Formats: sequence, C-alpha cells, structure tokens
Amino acid sequence: MLSLLNQIEQSGLATWIHESGSLWGYPLVLFLHTLGFGTLVGINAAIDLRLLGFGAGIPLKSFEKTFRMMWGGFALNAVTGSLLFIADATKHATNPSFYVKLVFVAAGLFTLTRIRKNVFHASGKNESATLRQAKILGAISLGCWLIVITAARLMAYIAEYINA
Amino acid sequence: MLNSLNAEHLHLLLNHFPTVGYAVGLGLFLVALFQKSSELKQASLVIFIVIALISIPTYLSGNAANFALKEKAELSESMLQAHQDAALLGLIFMELTGLFAWLEIWRIRYVARPMNWNLMVVIVMSLATFGLMARAANIGGELRHPEIRPATESSAWPQTAVMAKAFVIENPWVWPAAEIFHFIGLTMIFGTVLLVNLRLLGIINHVSFDSVYRLLPWGIAGFIINFISGMLFFVAVPDQYTQNSGFARKMVLLVMAAVTMIYPTVFDRLSDLKAEDTAPVQNKVIAGASIALWVAVIFFGRYLPYIGSE
Repeated sequence: MLSLLNQIEQSGLATWIHESGSLWGYPLVLFLHTLGFGTLVGINAAIDLRLLGFGAGIPLKSFEKTFRMMWGGFALNAVTGSLLFIADATKHATNPSFYVKLVFVAAGLFTLTRIRKNVFHASGKNESATLRQAKILGAISLGCWLIVITAARLMAYIAEYINA
Repeated sequence: MLNSLNAEHLHLLLNHFPTVGYAVGLGLFLVALFQKSSELKQASLVIFIVIALISIPTYLSGNAANFALKEKAELSESMLQAHQDAALLGLIFMELTGLFAWLEIWRIRYVARPMNWNLMVVIVMSLATFGLMARAANIGGELRHPEIRPATESSAWPQTAVMAKAFVIENPWVWPAAEIFHFIGLTMIFGTVLLVNLRLLGIINHVSFDSVYRLLPWGIAGFIINFISGMLFFVAVPDQYTQNSGFARKMVLLVMAAVTMIYPTVFDRLSDLKAEDTAPVQNKVIAGASIALWVAVIFFGRYLPYIGSE
C-alpha cells in the first residue's frame, strides 16, 4: 500500500504539482479547491439557512438553478482534491483528519441530495412533516460542512503532530 | 506594491479618512439628529460605513510604515508602539460604528419597527470613535513633530496591539482556530455574494431582489468573522503581511468587493426589482464585478504564502 502511494507521489504529474515551484502548479490547484469549496458550501449553507427559517421570503424554487453550480463546485473539487492528494499521497493517506473530511464530504453531499428529493421535490401531501424534515436536513447539512472545514484546516497541524 | 518607503506615504494619505473624513461624517450625523433629517442621517451613516472600510487599510498601512521606520533612530519606539495601540483601539471602535451604522440603514429599509437602541449605540460609538481616533492621530502627529511632544507619556491606556499579539502567540490554539473561522466566514460571504449577484445577473430568477438580499446579514456576519480572524493573523506577525505584495492587493480588492456587497442597502433602485423584473445593465455589470472581486480576494488570500516576499 505504502509503495503504491509512494509511486503515485513520485509520478510525473504529482512531482510537478508539488515541486515545480511554479505559481501555476500547487498554489493554483489550492486556489481552485478553495473556489469550488466556496461555491458548493457557500450556496449549500444559504439553502440550509432558508430551510431553518431564515430568509423565508425566498421561494425554494429560486434555488433550483444553483444545484448545477454546487455540483460544478464539487466536480472542480473532486479533480483538484485528487491532484492535491497525489502530490502528498503518503502524508494524506496516514492523516486521520483527511478521512474525517472525506467521510463528512460524502455525508454533506448525501444530505444535499436528500434536501433536493425530500424538500425541493416533496410530494406536497404532508406539509408540516416536510417542514420538519427540511429543518432537520438543514441542520445536518450545516453540521457536516462545519466538520469538513474544521477537519480540512486541521490536516496540516495533525500531519505535523503525527510526523513529529 | 507596498514597499517600505511608499508605505509611509500611503499611511499619511489614508490617515486623513478616519480623522478628517470621519469628523465630517460625525458633524453631518449630529446635524441630522438635531434637524431630524432622515436623508442627512442616511448620508452620514453611509460615510461612517465607507470610512470604517477605509480604516482597515489605513491601520494596515500604518504597520507597513512602522516596518520602514524601525530603522530610523530618531523615532521613539515607545511612541510608535503607543500610536499603534491607540490606532488599534480606534479601529475596533470604528468598525463597530460602521457595523451599527449599516444595521441602522438596514433597519430603515427592511425592519419596519424602530430600534431606538441601535441609534443610541451609533451615537455613543461614533462619539467614542472620534475621541479614540483623535488620540491615535495626535500621538501619530507627535511622532514626526517632537517639538509638540509632551514631556511625559501617559501609560494608563491599554496596550491593545501588544496584548493582541501576545494573545495569538502565547496560545497555540488561536491560529488554527482563526484559520477554521476564516474559512467559515469565507463560505458565508461567498455564498451570499453568489446568490445576490446571480439574481441581479438573471441566472436566479422568479424571485424579487429584496427576498434574496435578505441573506445579506449572513454575509455581513461572515465578514465580521473574517475581520476578527484576519486581524488575529495580522497582529501576530504584521511584517509577514505588510512585506507581502499579495496582501496589499488583497486588501484593496477587499474594500472594493465589500462596497459591491453593501451598496444595494443604500440605493432604492434594486429594492424595486420584483420577481419578474430584470436588473438594469449597470447593476448587472457591478454584479459581475462583485463576483470577480471576491474571487480575486480569495485568489490573493490563497496565494499569500507563495507570492510572499518576491
């Protein structure tokens, strides 16, 4: 496993990202990763707030078009995240914070799909049940992204701690 | 961009805004209160907000000037420090004044019932800010004019900048915590900016502008979080930032970006946009610019460690 990670890390692309020193290498990937995250989580958090009852004047359907943008943000981050991973494969693969982040990204995305299905496209039969579920999903979603941000920020510190 | 020598110049230029410019705003505000003129009041509140934004680069450029002046023996180090402490205290009050001024304008437009306490807060904070800024300016002036310097220095005032720096450096959890909050604030601002501007651009539609703009307090909350967490980074290692060309760019772009975010609070036009209305072309241009400016702010923020000290 470790040798595979080493191989990934030493592949041409990974080495270039990490060691070229080019401003359009590692820093650019990191910036795009932040941009994708800001788009996905920024819009998702606003939707969560709306579900929790803040800004109730915004009709839900006006958020419909933003789902494509959020998935765009995620696609950007799947690509840039993979690039960041291969650049530091051995370091990230041994970092528990990295796995916490991945798990809660998955949970956050799953919650988003539930929000779309159960709230945006609710059958409309039982409004109070939908409203209650919307609040629960909104809170879970905010919680997931909060954990993702925290775990992501702490990765560098935990890596330092492990490798010390 | 902010090299040492013109940092002094820049600071001497900018420092008139929190002092002279602010005095004008305060004068207008007091006249408005006595004459009960709501238009004049709004105008003075806008001045408070604009000056609160400009005060951020003013404070930061002072640190850049400080870096340049360290080499000069004729300036008393304890006075430089006293000026910086006074300036940081003034900045904190200035930002609070700006925040409550914004809240008052927001209330006028979106909250029907009056909030008398808020206006009282603006009055008290604006007067306190004026006193604190005048004090900071006075010490700053004495730096360059030893002939007007009093023989004794008072030390009863809190050493704001010294204490803030010690707080960050002595508590190892502060920096990572500030990083986490800085990213939380980023998502709050960027999400709000995207949704509001996408409505103006017509990409989000069938919704009145005001409905979407009601998200603004969320974005403002993000801005507050990022101001505080960002200032914690800055006060800990000011030279690392003032000597970084990307940082100056980020701050200039930030002030511009913040203006594009809050200007609809002031002008009526956008509030008139109903669900099926299209925004005027100039607002669409500003909306596009707003998104681009915030992306650029994130860009320079992310690139800081890499374009560092070229």
